[in-house]
Amino acid sequence: MENHKTLIYDLAPRKFGKRGVIWTLFLVVIIIAGIVAYIDQLIKGQEVTNMRDYALWGIYISNFVFFVATSFVGTVTVAILRLTNNSWRTPLVRIAEIISVAAIIMAGITIMIDMARPDRLLNLFIHARLQSPITWDVVIIPTYIVISLLLLYFPLLPDFAILKKHFKKTKPKLSKWYGKLSLNWKGSVAQKTIQTKSIKIIAIMIIPVGILLQTIDAWLFSTTYRTGWDSTNFAPYFISGAFVAGIGALVTVIYVVRRVKKLEHYITDYHFDKLGKLLVLALLLYFYFNINEYLIPSFTAKKDESVHLNTLFTGSYATLFWFVTIVGLIIPIIVLLFKKGRKPYPMFFIGLIVVIGSWWKRFVIVTPTLLHPFLPIQGVPESWRHYFPSLHEWLITIATLAMALLIITILVRYLPVIPIQRTYEEQELLKTDKTIET
Amino acid sequence: MKLSRINQLHFRFILLALLNVVLLTSGFQNLYSQNTKKNRVRIKTNYVKIMDGESYFDIRATSKVEKENVDVSHVDILVYNEIEDEKIKLGTITTDVKGQSRYTLKSINDIKPDSTNTYNLLFSFKGNDQFKKASKSFSFKDVDIVDAKVITIHGINYITATLSDPNTKNPIADESLGVLVQRLFKSLRIGEEFNNTDENGTIVVPFEEELPGVDGNLTFEIVLNDHDDYGTVKALINAPLGIPVVHESTFDDRTLWSPRNKTPLFILVFANLLILGIWIPVIYLITNLFKINNAKT
Amino acid sequence: MEDKNKSSRRKFLDKGLKLGIVSAIGGLGLSKITSKLNATNDDSSGEKMELMTTDGTLIQVDSSEVLEIEHPADNDKKYNVREGMPNRKFVMVVDLARCKNALKCQSACNKHHYITGDNAWIKIYKMQESKDTAPYFMPTTCQHCDHPPCVTVCPVDATFKRRDGLVLIDNERCIGCRFCMAACPYSTRVFNWSEPDQGEITLNMDMYQHEYLSPEYAGMPSLKGTVDKCDFCPHFVKNNELPKCVEVCPNNVFYFGDKYEDTVSNSDEIVRLSELLEERAGYRLMEGLGTEPSVYYLPPKDRWVDFEEALKNYKEFESVEKPE
Repeated sequence: MENHKTLIYDLAPRKFGKRGVIWTLFLVVIIIAGIVAYIDQLIKGQEVTNMRDYALWGIYISNFVFFVATSFVGTVTVAILRLTNNSWRTPLVRIAEIISVAAIIMAGITIMIDMARPDRLLNLFIHARLQSPITWDVVIIPTYIVISLLLLYFPLLPDFAILKKHFKKTKPKLSKWYGKLSLNWKGSVAQKTIQTKSIKIIAIMIIPVGILLQTIDAWLFSTTYRTGWDSTNFAPYFISGAFVAGIGALVTVIYVVRRVKKLEHYITDYHFDKLGKLLVLALLLYFYFNINEYLIPSFTAKKDESVHLNTLFTGSYATLFWFVTIVGLIIPIIVLLFKKGRKPYPMFFIGLIVVIGSWWKRFVIVTPTLLHPFLPIQGVPESWRHYFPSLHEWLITIATLAMALLIITILVRYLPVIPIQRTYEEQELLKTDKTIET
Repeated sequence: MKLSRINQLHFRFILLALLNVVLLTSGFQNLYSQNTKKNRVRIKTNYVKIMDGESYFDIRATSKVEKENVDVSHVDILVYNEIEDEKIKLGTITTDVKGQSRYTLKSINDIKPDSTNTYNLLFSFKGNDQFKKASKSFSFKDVDIVDAKVITIHGINYITATLSDPNTKNPIADESLGVLVQRLFKSLRIGEEFNNTDENGTIVVPFEEELPGVDGNLTFEIVLNDHDDYGTVKALINAPLGIPVVHESTFDDRTLWSPRNKTPLFILVFANLLILGIWIPVIYLITNLFKINNAKT
Repeated sequence: MEDKNKSSRRKFLDKGLKLGIVSAIGGLGLSKITSKLNATNDDSSGEKMELMTTDGTLIQVDSSEVLEIEHPADNDKKYNVREGMPNRKFVMVVDLARCKNALKCQSACNKHHYITGDNAWIKIYKMQESKDTAPYFMPTTCQHCDHPPCVTVCPVDATFKRRDGLVLIDNERCIGCRFCMAACPYSTRVFNWSEPDQGEITLNMDMYQHEYLSPEYAGMPSLKGTVDKCDFCPHFVKNNELPKCVEVCPNNVFYFGDKYEDTVSNSDEIVRLSELLEERAGYRLMEGLGTEPSVYYLPPKDRWVDFEEALKNYKEFESVEKPE
């Protein structure tokens, strides 16, 4: 019980210190600026962006793809690691689920920002055509939101019961909320059976749904004729990209939360080492798909492909392309192959540049293709041959990123970031059976 | 004495009348001298007669305003039938936004010809603030294209028709008729450009082309085109001499580009199976939450 | 006594009649003169009409400023607007040998559809396949494909393919996702990024609303945040008139017609489609993509005009003339 009490004390949510409050206010200010910019966009129309008839999708879409990719982390850590019996994942799963939920909710919001007529949102449901890849997206995203929430919620039930007791005297109102959310959790056999069974079902289901989500996201592009998008490689390319983006985000957030909440005991160097190995595996896989996507077409050098590849290798998008490839892909691989590189501090920076690289990589996927269509760009103003996001687009996009961070922040504030009950049970198990490996 | 008094009165009357006439004409002259900026209007007329159908006059009113041709729209044109010295008003038509209008004649008997069997019409525009008055006379004689039909000789189809005088029923020889097939905007000519009527007023034109038509039907036109005396006269024949059209539209099929009520079956089945396959367990899971909530300890 | 009465009556009648005729003629003359003297020469009739603009404000407009737009001949639809004219399959033929880049088609289309953005619906591309093959000008409209990729990807059925071959847009349904624009390989669709400033047309729209806001009247009006494109002018075609570009081309570059009739025509000519395609080696754009377009091109052989001559009219960065 001594152990149990320490566990609870360590892992229970705590009030925000000064840093927490400043951080939250900072995010809120950014979000408000984004909302103001969005209202302006609603009034004036999307001419406030720099998208025009050729660069018809810009950072709203690449940001959307980024969120979808990052939300894959729930599937990876919770489900795939579970199926492969990687028990070291326990202290990481809650944060992974939180990132998943935040990312997929923001994906749903971000795509609506790109719609020029959000007043006709309901048309997507009333008049939906099943033949359209966008309809598939409209189906899969809410589905993944629900499953991610369930994946977050079910394991939280015993923890909510614990927190209710913990805060009963000090924070009665908060305690009551935890109590409501714990759904009368008493740890009884009946409840435990239902919970275990449910988690098992979710963990299995989320794998195909998560993979389907990334696949449909890729099919938004590969169901068109455009050079650079019309690739049979796209779906697995996006899945491996989601691995990278998700784990990169996980590493970054884990490091910050661990530092702020002083959880070095629970998330140790060992965990970072394991995460680092997982990340480098994902990066190598992603690298393999990048070679298939960008190197092989230059072998046959079809004219359209050559134009596209030249734009990326030596043309107007060269700086970005090499940045995301070298800084976002190659350097992390090299660093993470060494044990020293898998220590927490370097891992944090690697995670950060992987995330930043992932965000810009999707920009490189979306816009350059649009700027070399089959027929030459003529008869339109010269500025239409280039695209760089406008102030409105930046404000709104950064606001969506801030909103994702805000959701994570709020959830981290009120939820135990490491599953309390499960950690306890595992530790108890360890005590009684020393043959189980950590 | 009485006579001289009457003469005096008459003189006064004539004087007064003359004075008024001068006033009037000077008034009109004022009109003309004041408004030199009124533009001249040209009225073009086209007469078309469709056998066993209507006849009509297509009017086009144009004017040269500042060296450019413009359509004179929304003006009234009065239509008169001129017989000897009389003008009988037939009706009024108004030009549309393109300056065009059509006066339809239900039957040739609605108008009367003069002694030479020529029908004389007058299209008159009274003028307005912008345009001077104008008028156009149009004369034509009535003629019939009769016995328009398809005949088959030795397996070859021929279009035949006869040009005849409607009053004497005598054939009219040595006039050129054209044979065309009606298509969407214009008609497609078949055979020679000039098919002269023989001494019986008849033409016989072979039709050997393979032309598609809805359900195999084609509408042929035998046309006396823009004749100086007769205007344009058309006779129409419907004949199943065409190749039936094979409809190519995928509108009724289930395709990727159909509206939602014609979704391809594969997508319909597969997508719904997937959705149900995921959401039924999800609903089960949500009910599990309630079960946990209500579980007895 | 009676005699005297009779004669005085006669005199009276006589005088009265003459006086009457004289005064009538005189009065007529006078009135004509005075009316002409009073008539003013300016166009305004002085009458004002009250109209409502699209954002609900009432304005007073001089009634002479209100232009009438032609109504279609048949107001009641004889066919469903999403199904199209029965027994027709519309095709267009573009003769590249005749195109002098006169751009009359583009300005007529822009004017007729009230296009106010920066991207015209018909673009005349300066094409050159490789550095050794000859350059030429290629007018491109929407190809109204039989396997339209734009229709396939539309999530809300806002763009649709009709039985008569036309691909049209219902801009009341469109959500502005621009997937159709991404899917179109011919780059033919344009987007209304802002409120289309169509000016006087909007005033007229409000009077004829029941006849417009129809997919057959593309651009009349255009709506903010929706997609537009060439519609093959069905509002003209259903009244047996040629689409605007076909009608105004001074070099008869375009032919338009019904494939089921195997006949295409323009203002001056009428030809059998199959004969034209065979004699002149007609082909379609990007045939290998499988879109099955409805526009055929005749190769630029035996050109009517020098390319250099046509190049003089080329505007690389402009396709819609802006009013000063």
